[in-house]
Amino acid sequence: MRKLLGLATAALLATTGVALAEWPEKPVRLIVPFGAGGTSDQVARVLQASIEDADALSQPVTVVNVGGHYSIGARQVMESDPDGYNFVIIHIALMGGEGTGALDFSWRDFKPVAATGEFCLLPMVRKDSGIDSVGQLLEKAKAEPDTLIMGVNIGAINHLAGVMLQETLPGAKFRFAQVGGGTANFTALTGAQTNLTVLSGAEVINFTLLPDGTDNPESQIKPLAYTGPERFEGLPDIPTVTEEGFDMTFCIKNWIFAPKDTPQEAVDGFANAVGAAIKTERYQKFLADKGFSESFLTGDALQADLDATWSAIEPVAKLAAQN
Amino acid sequence: MDLPALFGAIGHIFEPWTFFMLFIGTALGIVVGAIPGLSGAMLIALTLPLTFYMDPFDAVVLLIAMYVGAISGGLITATLMRMPGTPASVMTTLDGYPMARAGKPGRALGLGITASFVGGLVSWVVLLTITQPLSILATRFGPFEYFTLIMMAMVLIASVSEGSLVKGLISGLLGMLVSMPGVDPSSGMPRMTMGFYQLNGGLQLLPVLIGTFAVSQVIKDCMDRADMPERNKMNTSGILMSLSDLKRSAGNLLRSSFIGTWIGILPGIGASIGSVVAYTVAKNVSDRPEEFGHGSEEGIIASEAANNATVGGALIPLIAMGIPGSVIDAILIGALTIHSIQPGPTLFLTNNDIVWGMIAAALLANILMFILMTSTVKHIAGLIYLPKAFVLPVVMMFCVIGSYALNNTMFDVWVMLVFGVLGFLMEKARIPLGPFVIGFVLAPLGEEKLRSGLMMTGGDYSPILTRPFPLLFTVMAVILLVWPLIAERRRKSKAAK
Repeated sequence: MRKLLGLATAALLATTGVALAEWPEKPVRLIVPFGAGGTSDQVARVLQASIEDADALSQPVTVVNVGGHYSIGARQVMESDPDGYNFVIIHIALMGGEGTGALDFSWRDFKPVAATGEFCLLPMVRKDSGIDSVGQLLEKAKAEPDTLIMGVNIGAINHLAGVMLQETLPGAKFRFAQVGGGTANFTALTGAQTNLTVLSGAEVINFTLLPDGTDNPESQIKPLAYTGPERFEGLPDIPTVTEEGFDMTFCIKNWIFAPKDTPQEAVDGFANAVGAAIKTERYQKFLADKGFSESFLTGDALQADLDATWSAIEPVAKLAAQN
Repeated sequence: MDLPALFGAIGHIFEPWTFFMLFIGTALGIVVGAIPGLSGAMLIALTLPLTFYMDPFDAVVLLIAMYVGAISGGLITATLMRMPGTPASVMTTLDGYPMARAGKPGRALGLGITASFVGGLVSWVVLLTITQPLSILATRFGPFEYFTLIMMAMVLIASVSEGSLVKGLISGLLGMLVSMPGVDPSSGMPRMTMGFYQLNGGLQLLPVLIGTFAVSQVIKDCMDRADMPERNKMNTSGILMSLSDLKRSAGNLLRSSFIGTWIGILPGIGASIGSVVAYTVAKNVSDRPEEFGHGSEEGIIASEAANNATVGGALIPLIAMGIPGSVIDAILIGALTIHSIQPGPTLFLTNNDIVWGMIAAALLANILMFILMTSTVKHIAGLIYLPKAFVLPVVMMFCVIGSYALNNTMFDVWVMLVFGVLGFLMEKARIPLGPFVIGFVLAPLGEEKLRSGLMMTGGDYSPILTRPFPLLFTVMAVILLVWPLIAERRRKSKAAK
């Protein structure tokens, strides 16, 4: 017993000893390769505050926005010192960019640290479109290929989702048009300039429901299905695309990466801090408000998830680049 | 019109911190507007990085207050020193300075301040009444409507900017050219980056603006070693206009305000043009046109009512359509997008509080401007004589910090310096900077809309000529472009005879 206790104490001392003496000795930088206010920025800032709430790191995390194209901030981190103090938070755009050829570097040039904060999408059409399910939508896109106009941001998440959706029914083809992000697509679809788009769960709630959760009669658009593996809590009546018989799940996680040669100790340290942060009340409330799921992954599970995402996304991105 | 939302926004502004923003913004705007060499565009471009860390409501209140203050402050220097503190006050120097020299500086300032106030109020009423209906109309605007509207706006800017049409076009095209690197809107691929990965997202608005407007001015002021102009004796008698004054000038006030508002609405034309047009009209309809240029009350009133009226006017297309009505509006668009607020038709839906905050701020800043100017004009006038050796290094420091803070990269600081030199050279060559910035802001928008429209139609251009609004805008653009050329040819042939 004594021996066991001694061993445990030694182990405890060893871990705390490492944490205190080596990493982190100075503030940790988390680069957001997008402007302030976007989804990734919100996740980063809530994580920063939650890590503080949970007292999970002995040093503060500084969130730094690097705007412009997301490749700028991502490359900055990739090329920065692998000293354990540089991290970047990014999502599937990194893989999409590699697949379409927009980037000359890869997600494999980074060391994966953690994933969290996942959201999925909903294909949207106009209420007066006569389309009531993804099945009808895809049949129409097959019967009249290249006529249904889908508003997207070319090369971005909503474009990849559109390509993936049309690939579930051979012969179906949308006409992709550059419109932009969620709000721009909401406008274009409301104004009947486009026939469909995809929006996130939070956007659908914002644009189609009244504050009390009932259907907003003034909204002219409606969701058809949810691209998650299970139904979305905020919209329990909307089936998943898989339930409707089409093989597609498409969700976006926020990934944290570090430069390739970052010491394992710092990678694990930061991953553990994130793990502690997501248990805080602040983070949980943020997830609930945004309709995100926790989806916390590290280590081998994260690596396996990244590999699976890449093998699903690469062919889609290649197709998107041809559209 | 959503009056509860308006009153809600007014109430919000009266909360201590937000009111402090309104106060600081208006006061700083007046001071910066009054100091020749520091412009409102410069102040707002330099303040923008600070607003990243503010609540978006407070940020728009601060920026709009600065806008109103800066347009107004210019009249102080224009009147007392014959140096327009902002370009918009050029016309005020013509009559304000002679009147001040004739021993009535208080009267000259008072006329200008009251006219500014009335101009601001009139344009605010127009802003309040037509913005929302216009935004509803604008939701029906598709990509071709936007594209042709933007084309018309760009031609308009080039054709009415100060200096020759050719120089205006050169400036606009230069702005369009430097907006080209970045993400290609129809393939999502970075283009024309010349091997700099930092250009993958294109040149950022903020360093370009700070460079062209602030750094170029610092360079110019450093080169320019002219002595301080002679001080005019300052007294504030007659600072408030009497009722009979107001009655006598009512027609001029209203006419000039409406001219200013209308010119403000036209995308891309700033306060300077508004004041020139109103001044010219006032002179043409006046009983005493011979007084203009020698201390005419009507001249001061026309110029100042119109330049302040452009502020409210210019906010209309910004809010309703997301198209900047002036250079400062182009910067405001940048401020909104930094806070993930997309200006345009859906602004009333997605950010109702922000829209009404902007509208309420335009009113309250105008009232506060009137109070501040009438009560403190004497002290502000003293600030004008601050030696440039103290002012310029501080401005330069803010330029560097501001450019760096946007994306936390030194690359943007270099961009700022390069554009500072470019702006300086352009001014030396008498190429106006306004069209450059508007071209830089509008070209990517126009390109995206056109290519988006072509993607929707499958490459068919015909909607430009077959849909009513695009046809109208295209025809107007062609007329605007051709008319000055015809007018010039006619003038020449007349002169030849």
